[in-house]
Amino acid sequence: MNLDWLTQYVVTIVILIVTTVGLALLLHLQMGLAGIGNFGIVGFYGVGMYAFGIFLVHLPWPESWGMVAPVLASLLFGTVIAGIAGLLVGWLIVDLDADGILLGTLGFAAIVYGLSQTNRTWTGGAEGMGTTDFPYDIGTIKANTLLWLGITTVVVALILYYVIRVHRSPYGRLLIATGQNEALARSLGKPTFRTKMVMFATGSAAMGLLGGMYGVMLHYIRPVELGIGITLAAMVGLVLGGQARAWGAVVGVVLVGVLFELVFLIWIPFPTEWRRQSLPVIREMLYGATLILVLMTRPLGILGRMRRDRTVRRPAHD
Amino acid sequence: MTESAAVPVSRPSVRIQDAVKSFDGRVVVDVADLTLGKHPVEGLIGPNGAGKTTLMRMVTHSISLDRGRVTFSTGTGAPDVVLSSKAPHAIARRGVVKTNQVIQDFDQLTIWDSLLLAASKAHDERALKIFREPHVWSEYGDEIDEYLNLFPFDNPFGFAKSAGEKKLLDIIRCLLLRPKLLLLDEPTAGLPAGIRDRVMELIKKKATEENVSVVVVEHDLNVIWNLSDYVHFMAEGRVVLQGDPPWIREHATVVEKYLGEGHVGR
Amino acid sequence: MARLAEINKPIARWSVLVVALIVLVATWDLARKSLVIGTVSDAPLVLAAIGFALLYRLTGLINVAYAETVTMGAYIGMWVNTTFELNFYFTLIPTIALTGLFSVLTYFAIFRPAKQRNVGVVEMIIISFGLSVFLRYGIQFIFGFEFRYYDVPVQKSLRVLGVGVSPFRITALVSALGIAFLLIWFIRRSRLGIQIRALAGDENLAQVSGINPLAVTVLIWFLAGVAGGAAGAFYGVNTSVRAWLGWDQFLFILLVVLIGGARGIGGVIIAGLATGVVLSFLELMPGLNTTPVYAQVIVIALFMVILKVRGNRLAEAGKV
Repeated sequence: MNLDWLTQYVVTIVILIVTTVGLALLLHLQMGLAGIGNFGIVGFYGVGMYAFGIFLVHLPWPESWGMVAPVLASLLFGTVIAGIAGLLVGWLIVDLDADGILLGTLGFAAIVYGLSQTNRTWTGGAEGMGTTDFPYDIGTIKANTLLWLGITTVVVALILYYVIRVHRSPYGRLLIATGQNEALARSLGKPTFRTKMVMFATGSAAMGLLGGMYGVMLHYIRPVELGIGITLAAMVGLVLGGQARAWGAVVGVVLVGVLFELVFLIWIPFPTEWRRQSLPVIREMLYGATLILVLMTRPLGILGRMRRDRTVRRPAHD
Repeated sequence: MTESAAVPVSRPSVRIQDAVKSFDGRVVVDVADLTLGKHPVEGLIGPNGAGKTTLMRMVTHSISLDRGRVTFSTGTGAPDVVLSSKAPHAIARRGVVKTNQVIQDFDQLTIWDSLLLAASKAHDERALKIFREPHVWSEYGDEIDEYLNLFPFDNPFGFAKSAGEKKLLDIIRCLLLRPKLLLLDEPTAGLPAGIRDRVMELIKKKATEENVSVVVVEHDLNVIWNLSDYVHFMAEGRVVLQGDPPWIREHATVVEKYLGEGHVGR
Repeated sequence: MARLAEINKPIARWSVLVVALIVLVATWDLARKSLVIGTVSDAPLVLAAIGFALLYRLTGLINVAYAETVTMGAYIGMWVNTTFELNFYFTLIPTIALTGLFSVLTYFAIFRPAKQRNVGVVEMIIISFGLSVFLRYGIQFIFGFEFRYYDVPVQKSLRVLGVGVSPFRITALVSALGIAFLLIWFIRRSRLGIQIRALAGDENLAQVSGINPLAVTVLIWFLAGVAGGAAGAFYGVNTSVRAWLGWDQFLFILLVVLIGGARGIGGVIIAGLATGVVLSFLELMPGLNTTPVYAQVIVIALFMVILKVRGNRLAEAGKV
């Protein structure tokens, strides 16, 4: 099989797209089901990435542990820290109105971005810090990156599986009820605040894991990675695909990612000058326009509304 | 006119003491001492703006009290619970449940969804219990089926469409919570006549056979006279008259004369 | 769980004042500098927040793209200033008028159609976020990445309370406050202002009493654009003009409006100035002065906590 078209660069872009699918799936739980508009995804992702990097770089790992154990331990650490951040931010915002949530999530992302540039000894400041190569070596750089793509895909597939199961579980029903009529859910004895807190914190932890994993792929983490781009990409994908549906995140992000990242930026032979300067800017403009167009003309995206009237049935073996 | 609160009660009941609520400086509810639930079915009547709904919402703590307290006694000897310091969901968990006057629904949840949601317990709804659905169906499915047989919906796997269906759904949701004290806020408004009678029959049965204390706010006074064992008459935020339905019926006209025309209704 | 009893009560006003006074006296040197720098450099923030608050309070809209209205103000002002070589103060009038028109344009192009389609609250915020991204990168596409500057004469700095301040910033402060008070006067006292407030109170009632909702809404958007444009022009002349100018300030605009907005425009002005002073105070504080980012981080975290403590204003609005 000829895999020449699959350059090293394309593989890294595919990893980015798969990671974004994961983030959009988690945003789907928060925004599509529970109605919490999280505009600070990158904050939790960034906490995971930096916590992973700092833990890995600054801890005296014994030589005998090899490469895999420290990376795994650091990823776990990043996940936990992101989860704690989610718990804290969630406690502050989940019972506020949409405007308070906007402020809280944007503010958190700004705080993470700000802190990532300070404290040079820990984070490397504005220049960033080198973290690690892939914790294995199976041959060429491309092969190693492909393996990491596989691992990332497995993790995102697990998230997708979880989200699909949530749609078919009492927990998902509770999330939907909370998002749609919180006061009514509360009057039915549902602890809506705690439900949203738990959901927000677990979602944040998973975002942190994805951030850490993307940090492994990058080998070198910088504050530039924590710009608005990843939040925007996840949101555009989710909104386009359908924020009320589990598959919406997958359909939307893959569509947007393949179209804009691969076709537009790599496969169409635009002059190199354009690629560096104006095309990324145009891409973000189109992202913004997509958000407006989809929400004005088809607010529930390509897949449309939740079809619980079709899917919710008595289990067969009852 | 008012009963002594010292009479021992064996039914679930709430006691509202010195409770005041005002909106924009206007006192809407000002109740000195009132116990709801000493009889199987109690009616709460009064003119529009008398504070009936507000009083009920104070009991379930969906609005806060300016002053005073609400305590709940299960009637089984368990210690009383101060409801006015509990969160609304905790109150519902303890069995004090209210149906809604204005139609309330979850747009994206089907009728079955809505009922399963009401029936499910906290331990079914944890974030990691993603394989819990079959259990929930087998655990609560039959009970829900009973209600659905009693009150046929157009398509129970679809969404509640008419206002009547939504209203009925609201009531069944509350019944699935297995309430000890059930507050019904204008249950018959919007229900078709046939369904309405069946709902009332069921409520009466729950009250007499299952020891549920029911409090009904209703504008259709015929429902009150037929259903209730005891009636509280509210006006201008206070309970001004209490007694058996015939007695209230007799004296309500006095109140009406005293307060002016149109206070008691049809 | 919202602490329902605390809603609508003032946020411990006196104790806060006393603490502020003690801090002021104890750290006079620092306080003196931060008072001057904070007030002077954050005057545009106050203006921008007033414009945002007008939209938020009167039309109920969270307009993320308002950040780009501010940016447009800076660019339009620079364009007028450098093209016609006008004195900065003369450029202000065409600048705010054009930015006002731009603001009205966004209303007709995006927000009016969206409202007619009954878009949900979160979706409306996402739409405005999309518009903000579109405009911001659009501006960047047209004008490029480089910083641009107004063409204004360099002036000798004045000393206020022993702190050197460019006279330009003082006039900026005076004009900012002037415009702010003009807006307040217009909304509180003029006939049109009364119509605006009537519309915000009850649209149907306002319509019955002979108010043209469209005209009044357009006026609100125009005034918001005027305030945003003036803010942008002052930001631009004080520092530099770039595509991210408005977005960099947006979080602080939102903070000021959500905290101060509940108490009307007066509250916005006080919250805006206080934010400026606290920011400069923290930036000058020994230990923090090496990394100005910490000051911003602390202020954002502080405001998030205040918002939490104040509780959910909508807690009692539900009908259940």
